[in-house]
Order: sequence, then C-alpha cells, then structure tokens
Amino acid sequence: MLEVRNLHKVYPNGTVALTDVSFRVDDGEFLVVIGLSGSGKSTLLRCLNRLIEPSQGQILWDGVDVTAASGAELRRIRRHIGMVFQQFNLVKRSSVLTNVLAGRLGFANPWLSLLGVWPPSDRAMALRALERVGIRDKAEARADALSGGQQQRVGIARALMQEPKLILADEPVASLDPVLSHSILQYLEQLNKEEKITVICSLHFLDLVHRYATRVIALKDGKVVFTGLPQEIDKARFKAIYGEDAVEVRAGMTA
Amino acid sequence: MSVPRPLRTTLTALAVLALIAFAWNGSQVDFARLVNSLSKGWPLLQDFLTPDVLGREIQPVTLQLAVPVPCGSAAEAPPAASGPRLVPSVPCAAPRDKFTVEGFDLAPNTELQLRWRLPSGQYFPGPFITTDADGYFKAEFEARPIVATKDGVPGQIEVELQVEVGNLRPSPTLHIVLDNVVVTIFMALMATVAAVVVAAPLSFLAAQNVMKRGPVGTAIYYLTRTFFNVFRSYEAIVLATVFAFWVGFGPFAGVLALTIVTIASLGKLYSEAVEGIDPGPVEALTATGANRLQVVLFAIVPQIVPNFLSFTIYHWDINVRISTIIGYVGGGGIGYYLAQMINTSQNSKAGTAIWAIVIVVWVMDFLSAEVRKRYT
Amino acid sequence: MDTLPALASLLLPGLGQFLSGRRGRGLSVFGVLALMLALVWWATAPAAGFAETTIAFKGDPNLWWWLIAPALVWAWNVWDAARPGGAPGWLPLLVAGGMFAIFGWQTAEISPSTLLQNGDRVMLIIRPMLQPDFLQVRAEEREGWVELLVPCPAEAPAAPSNTSDGIALELSAGCAAVGQELTVTGAGLRPDTAAEFIWQSPIGDFFPLRDPADPQQFRLVQPEADGSLQAAFSVPNAIPPGIDPNLPQEQRLYVRQSRPLGGWELSTNGRFVLQGIYETLSVALMSTALGTLLAIPISFLAARNLMGANPVTLAIYVAMRTLLNIVRSIESLIIAIIFVVIVGLGPFAGMLAVTVHTVAALAKLFSELIEGIDPGPIEAMRAVGGDWLQIIRYGVVPQIVPPFTAFTIYRLEINVRASTIVGLVGGGGIGFFLIQWINLSDFRAVSASFIAILVIVIFMDQFSAQIRKRLQ
Repeated sequence: MLEVRNLHKVYPNGTVALTDVSFRVDDGEFLVVIGLSGSGKSTLLRCLNRLIEPSQGQILWDGVDVTAASGAELRRIRRHIGMVFQQFNLVKRSSVLTNVLAGRLGFANPWLSLLGVWPPSDRAMALRALERVGIRDKAEARADALSGGQQQRVGIARALMQEPKLILADEPVASLDPVLSHSILQYLEQLNKEEKITVICSLHFLDLVHRYATRVIALKDGKVVFTGLPQEIDKARFKAIYGEDAVEVRAGMTA
Repeated sequence: MSVPRPLRTTLTALAVLALIAFAWNGSQVDFARLVNSLSKGWPLLQDFLTPDVLGREIQPVTLQLAVPVPCGSAAEAPPAASGPRLVPSVPCAAPRDKFTVEGFDLAPNTELQLRWRLPSGQYFPGPFITTDADGYFKAEFEARPIVATKDGVPGQIEVELQVEVGNLRPSPTLHIVLDNVVVTIFMALMATVAAVVVAAPLSFLAAQNVMKRGPVGTAIYYLTRTFFNVFRSYEAIVLATVFAFWVGFGPFAGVLALTIVTIASLGKLYSEAVEGIDPGPVEALTATGANRLQVVLFAIVPQIVPNFLSFTIYHWDINVRISTIIGYVGGGGIGYYLAQMINTSQNSKAGTAIWAIVIVVWVMDFLSAEVRKRYT
Repeated sequence: MDTLPALASLLLPGLGQFLSGRRGRGLSVFGVLALMLALVWWATAPAAGFAETTIAFKGDPNLWWWLIAPALVWAWNVWDAARPGGAPGWLPLLVAGGMFAIFGWQTAEISPSTLLQNGDRVMLIIRPMLQPDFLQVRAEEREGWVELLVPCPAEAPAAPSNTSDGIALELSAGCAAVGQELTVTGAGLRPDTAAEFIWQSPIGDFFPLRDPADPQQFRLVQPEADGSLQAAFSVPNAIPPGIDPNLPQEQRLYVRQSRPLGGWELSTNGRFVLQGIYETLSVALMSTALGTLLAIPISFLAARNLMGANPVTLAIYVAMRTLLNIVRSIESLIIAIIFVVIVGLGPFAGMLAVTVHTVAALAKLFSELIEGIDPGPIEAMRAVGGDWLQIIRYGVVPQIVPPFTAFTIYRLEINVRASTIVGLVGGGGIGFFLIQWINLSDFRAVSASFIAILVIVIFMDQFSAQIRKRLQ
C-alpha cells in the first residue's frame, strides 16, 4: 500500500508543481493520473521514487518512509519500483539485451556489473522478459533499430527485471499511435491482473482511462481535483479538470 | 541601435581600417625588403626542392704525382695521358720555385684541396681550388723546402677526390629522417594515449550535468573547466620550451608538452559530449536503483563512445602535425633534426626533413579521415 | 575446425580469413602483423654504418624478445582462421597495443623519473614562475661608483675617488689583491635608505656583494644621519676564467640606493611583453587580412566547377590544388624559418609565413564552397533575365559571403595561435621574446609571457565570438 501525505513541490525557480497532494493506493490497483500538460503528473510520479525531491510531505510505501530514505536505502526502495517513460529512455546505442539487463543493476554485484559481467540467471531472466513482451528475437539488435512501440516494450521488459511490486508509468503511450497504445497498456494491465503489480500510470486520453483504470485521480495546477472511479468522470467533472474549452479527444479504436 | 545603417557601415569600415593600420605597423610590413631580398630565398628553395634522398656511396680517391725537389734528386714521373690526372707545368722543381698544376677530368664544380705529400708520409696543405664544369682546374703551386726528396723518396703533389661508386641507394640523410619520422609518430601516439587515459575520466568532472550537484561538485566542475581552458590556450610547442629545460632536450619533453595540451583540449571536447547526452537513460537507470557509477557506465558511456573516438582520432592527427615541429625548441623527433640542419645551413638535408613532414602529415590526414568515416 | 584456411593463415597471415570470405578481417590481420614485424625490424636492425642515427633505441639486441608479440598474433590468426565463428578479436588488439605501447615508450624516450630527478631545475622554474616579471615597485635609484685595479700593478695608483649621481665615494687604496680588505667612504647618500654594494667585473658583469656575517644575504649598509657612510669590504674574486689573474684589471664598486616611491610601473621585461602582445596581435590580424585577400582569387582557380571546362584550365586547377595541399601541410613555423632567412628576424617574417599558410588553407576551403554552390538561384536569376554581374551579385555572392566570413574569423583564431609560435624561430611577437628568455633562463619573464599568451588567446577568442554573434 502506498500512501502520499501532504506532498508539496516547489522548483528552485519558484514554479509550484504540487500543492498538498494526498492519496492512497492499495495493492493491485491500476491507478491513472490525469490532468493537463503541466498539471504536475510527471512531477508527482517522479516524487514517488524521488527522482525529484519533494519539498514537503511524506510518502509511505508498505510502512517504509520513502521521503526519509537516503543513499543505499533509497536505492533498495527504488529497485522494487519499476518505471516506464514517455520517451522510453533507452540507451540507443546499446543492445536491447543490455538495456533490459540494466533494469537489474540495483540487484547486481556492483563490481561485476561495472565489468559488464552478468550472472546467467539474469540473462535468462532478461530473455524471458523480452519473450513476455514479444520481442525476444530482437535481443541482439541495437535499441535505436527498433520502432517506437517495440522500444516501449523494451522499457517494460527493463521494468520487469526489477520484479517490481509497483510500476510507475509516465505517459507511457503519449509518443505512440493509438493501436500501439492499446498493446502497451494491455501489457501493463496483464501485469497488474496476473502478477498483482500495482500500476500508477499517467495518461492523456480519457477513453484509455475508462478502459484500463481501476481508479483515477485528477490533477489541476498541482492540486488533486478529483479522486474516484473512471465512470464517475462526467461532463461537469471533465470541464473542471480540463477547463471550459476542452473537447474530449479519443485515442480511438476502443478494444 | 538608432545609428542609421550607412553610418554604421562607415564606422565599421573605419574601425577595420584602423585595426589593419595598427596591424600593418605592428608587424613591420616592408614589402620592399621582401622584393629586394627575394633572391636570397631562391637558392634556399632550390635546395629544398632537391632534397637529399638518394646517393651513391662515396669513396675517397687520391691522385698523386711525384715531383722531385730539387730536380734530379729522384726519378721524375710522367703524368697520365687520360682519366682523372694532375699535370704540373714542370716535371721537377727547385725549392721555392713556383709552377702551375692543371687537373683534368675531375669531378665538375667541386671544391678540392691541392697538397704536398711529404716523403715522411705526412702532408702539407696547399690552396683550395674549384673545378669548372668540365672537371678542369689550374692553380699556382709552390715547391716548399719541406717537400725536398729524402732518402730517394720524392715529394708528391696530390689531390683527394670524393668519387661516387656503386648503385644509387637511400642516402644517409634519408635513413636519419626516416628514423626521426618513426620517433615523431610514436611521440604523437604516446601523447595521445596518455592524454586519453587522463582526459576521459577528467571530462566527467567538467560536465555540468554530472557535477553541478552540491557545492563540492560545482567547485570541482569550475576547477577542471578552468584547467582545461587555460592549457587549451597554449600551443604544445610553447610548453615544450619549459619542458625541454626541465627534462632535457629530447622526445620526452615533446611528449610531455603534447600530453598536457591534449588533455586540456580533449577534456573540453569530451566534457561537451558528456553534456550533450540524452538525460532519459540516466533517469531510467536511477529509477531502477542503480548507483552513481553504474549510471555513468550504463547510461552515459554508451552514448559518448562514438564522439570520444572521433575526437581522439582527430587529435591524434593534430598531434602528429605538432610533433613534427615540436622538436624545433628541443622536443625531439624530426623537428629537432630539421632545426639542426637549418642552423648549420645544410639545406638539402633540411629539404628532406620538410618533405618527410609533408608526407607524414598527408598520410595522417588521409588515414584519420578514413578511420573516422568508417567507425563513427 | 577448418584446416585449409588455418594452413593458409599459417603461411600468410590473414589469407585464410580472406579466402573464407572474411576479407576485411583478413586484411586487418595482415596489416597489423606487417606493421608489428616492420617495427621489430626497425628496432633491432643495427643503424646503417654510414648513417649516424640520433636514436639511442635503434639496434636493440633483444630480437627474440621483440618477436614474442608478433608470434602470439600469428598464432591467434591461425586459430581465428580455424574456428568457424572466428576467435575473440580483443586478444590480438591487446597484444599489439601492448607492443606498440612498450615500443613507443622506448622510442619517445619516456622516463617519468627524470621529472623528479631534475627537482632542482623545477625549483629553478617554479619559484620565479610565481612572480611574473611584468610590474615592479616604482623606485628612485641612485648609484655612485669608484674604480680600482685588481690585483695591484708594480706601481700602485693613488686612492681613487669619484662622484656620480650625487654620491661621492672614496677608497682606502687604488688597488688590491683578491680577498684584501678595503674601506670605502661615502657622502651625499640618503640617510633613510640602506645602500647595496655591487661589484662590476672586468668584463662588465654585475653581482652584489654578500654580507660577511651571513653569506646568504646581500650586503646592506645603513648610511649615517648626515648621508655619510664608511664600510669595510673584502675584494671579491671577479676575474673571469680564461683571463690571466695576475694582470691588473679595472673593477668597480657600485653603491646603490633604491627608495620606493609607492605604486607600480612596468618593468623592462614588462615593456617587452607589451610589445610582444602588440606584435603578435598585429601579425595575426595582418596575416588574416592579407591571406583572405589573396585566397579569394586563388580559390576561383582551385574550384573544379569553374576550371574543369577545358584542359588548360583543368591543368591550372590540378596544379593549384596540389600546391595548396603541399603548402597546407607545412606548418607556418617551418615557413617562418624560410622567411626569417629571406627578410631577417622580426614580425614581418612571421606575418609572411602565417599569411602563406592562411592563403593555402583558406583558398582550399573557399574553393570547396564555390564548388558546393547551389545552382538553383543562379538558374533563377538567369530565368528572370539577369545579366552576368547581376547573377554574381544576387545568385552567387549571397551564397558564399556568410561562409567566407565564418571561415575567415575561424582562421583569425588559428592565426593568433600560429603567430605566437612563429616567434619561436624569429618571427617576432611574444614567442620571440619567450624563446630568448628561455635561453637566458629568465623564468620570471617566461612566466609573464605565458600569462600574456593566455590573455591574447582568450581575448581573441572573445573578440571572434563577438564578431560571430554580430554577423548572425
């Protein structure tokens, strides 16, 4: 269970990104965070594993205070939280396999990993992860030789290497076309349902939210303006979240 | 700015003219001197254009002819009828007599010394003479009392010729120049390798995205960056002057100077490559719980390898160029040889060195361009 | 296991790989091994009898030792040919790299220990380097002297006296032997400032007398309140080697007072540094301006699209390109040596050398620009009925002027560096002063010129960066 209490984030240049954000995520949920660009979705997700330092507030994960952890302890927490990024964040010149193996760095022997030596069990695990996302045959290819959808699958495989209890997905499909969007989100849904991995995912398109989310929180100007089930988002709430002029755009092809 | 355009153009033109006038004055331009003394450069250029590359082995040959002093003290010798020969105007002479000596079919346009070979086997030097285009000379010679016949052995007039024998083959100069070329190339190689080993890790300390976290990191960042900027401003040859004083003349001084400048210059280029990386993978690997070193090795290094490689080869090319001249101030290699030859006015040998430099630079240019095209 | 390629590679390295389709690998293996063997040959062959080599390392007797690395690579190459998938490639690279490193270490006479062994020289360098000779304390200097003979001639001269700069000095004797004690009496000195005693040798060298109580210190004598002074000193041995010590020679005692006036002024070397900066910047600017001016017409002759039309112009093009390539490979330092012989020492020689190199480098770049001109705008100008001049003005000039300017400014930066180093061979500027100070071991002045070079380069970098910004 993840609990966020009174989270604030002010950037050094004075931008207020998050104001008094509090919510709870139970194990096994597929929580979707929605909101306009700049509403603080990315900041929130990155605060959860402290890629960005929160200014104030507390994050408790299974009773452990993430905000108080430092150094080695923080890395131990992070290695159980997978993360998937909008821009995939792969090392483009490295092979797909190396990129996936990198997800294991938090567990690996630090010195052997620096020499590029991986235990056979990790290699086998990486190949299984690639098989799971359907691109085992691309293991030796260079990451930049893959299409966008395939690259995101490598991103998911990398997260799988962490045997995560929680996956943070920051706009995982914003750089992909609608068909691919569904296939990527289906992988996440599968992990959520079969492995009971909690997923916290930020999304843009409401139809995707309706299709995949078990619960939704909406951010506006860094404040939580809605918490509830996806089907509770009606026209009035939509206007409250996205502003008066907004028109709902669908990602298309509802599966 | 509210200054109208034509005025601005005029002002700029005036400023440029003023600058040029200053520069004209400061560089002591004197084209009349150039034109008047251009003739001095011509023989120099001729020597450079006829480098000492091939030569035949040289063997000293001594031409001798007995001239008894005084007459009748020993048998007279008839001069040879053909081939390189000396022909005195008299077959014998009294002490202090002056006579002329002619030489035929000797090496053309060569300086020779006419001398007496004494009966004791020692020689007594005479005048220097220069043969004409046909290998002929005529010179006044004196029968000194010291050359008088002793125990029936007459004194002899003689001249020593340098005769070229055998086949054409690489000249000694070419051998030395080639040796120095090898040294020069290895100077550049050692300096480049040493500089890469130092600059690669240092460059991370001068990269904003790696270091600008916390006051200590920022301080180190500015320190490394200043070091790079200061030493990048010097040409290796300038630093070599000090190193030559420190460790003595020789290749090592050149290598040291080259290494320092290369560290600064490569370090700057490398750190810019590190600053230009995609931050995405760094974020992703930090999120998996990897430590700092792992992040550098897995997220940053793979992104910068091609740039590092390209910069390194580029610099190795530059270093070969500079190591050809660094010897001029005591840094060893071909430049040192060139300096020695120029200082002793052995211009065709200097020409050989210059041609070697041109060829080495060409080949290096070509090779580095090819390698960079292929691997980056 | 492929026997045939293995055998082929055993006979000729790389052949097996080449024959079994891995051509690039075969050629690389052959090339690397050939290079290694050539180096072994070079290192171990005795220097040819007639040629005196300057390289201590040549003629190394350890032939077998040197052959280990090539033998390893040869063996690897057979293994590589025999194994269908090839053998690991980093092995021979490691062996060859190791050999090159050892080889380079010896050829370049690298010996880090000399850095430490010559620690005394370092001290000789570093301390003065920390006190660059640029400014000095403004001071009023007064100096009186008196002359005597050392040693005494047969007939001893009278006790000498002399007044100069307002300081009257008198010696107790007109001549003395080395080590003999004399007394000097002075008047007209400033009572508030201590006086230094400085000796002038017969060949005009100056050196300060040392304090007999503490030889580490220079002799300082405080005058009385009325400006008079009386002090004993022993005559130093100032007779230079090679001169008969029994021959009486004129030597002088100088009494010098230096009173600080407050503030700073340029020292003598400081003035030279300023002159050097001025000359170096002048050489850089002048050579860039002149070089650009000459490079423009030459670049047209070296542009293939303008010169390729008929055989005569094509020949000019080829000759021009070759000449430019040759001159470009000769560093301006070497060209400067030639110009120093022709026009003599000074910045003019340096300027000419940098100009020649600039012409060659810029003409090549310019001609490549001309070759890369987009024919589109020219065609368009022609289509709208422009005449030849109009086509040049509106179709060609706009395309080449911005890159021409960019190259010229870039060249200016290079020329600043070049003009600092042409001085080392007599081409004027700061480099000229630097090499002389190095030869005199005047490291305070060397330090000042190093700072000057730094200032010049940074100033020019900023200057050209500003111009570039303006042009954009």
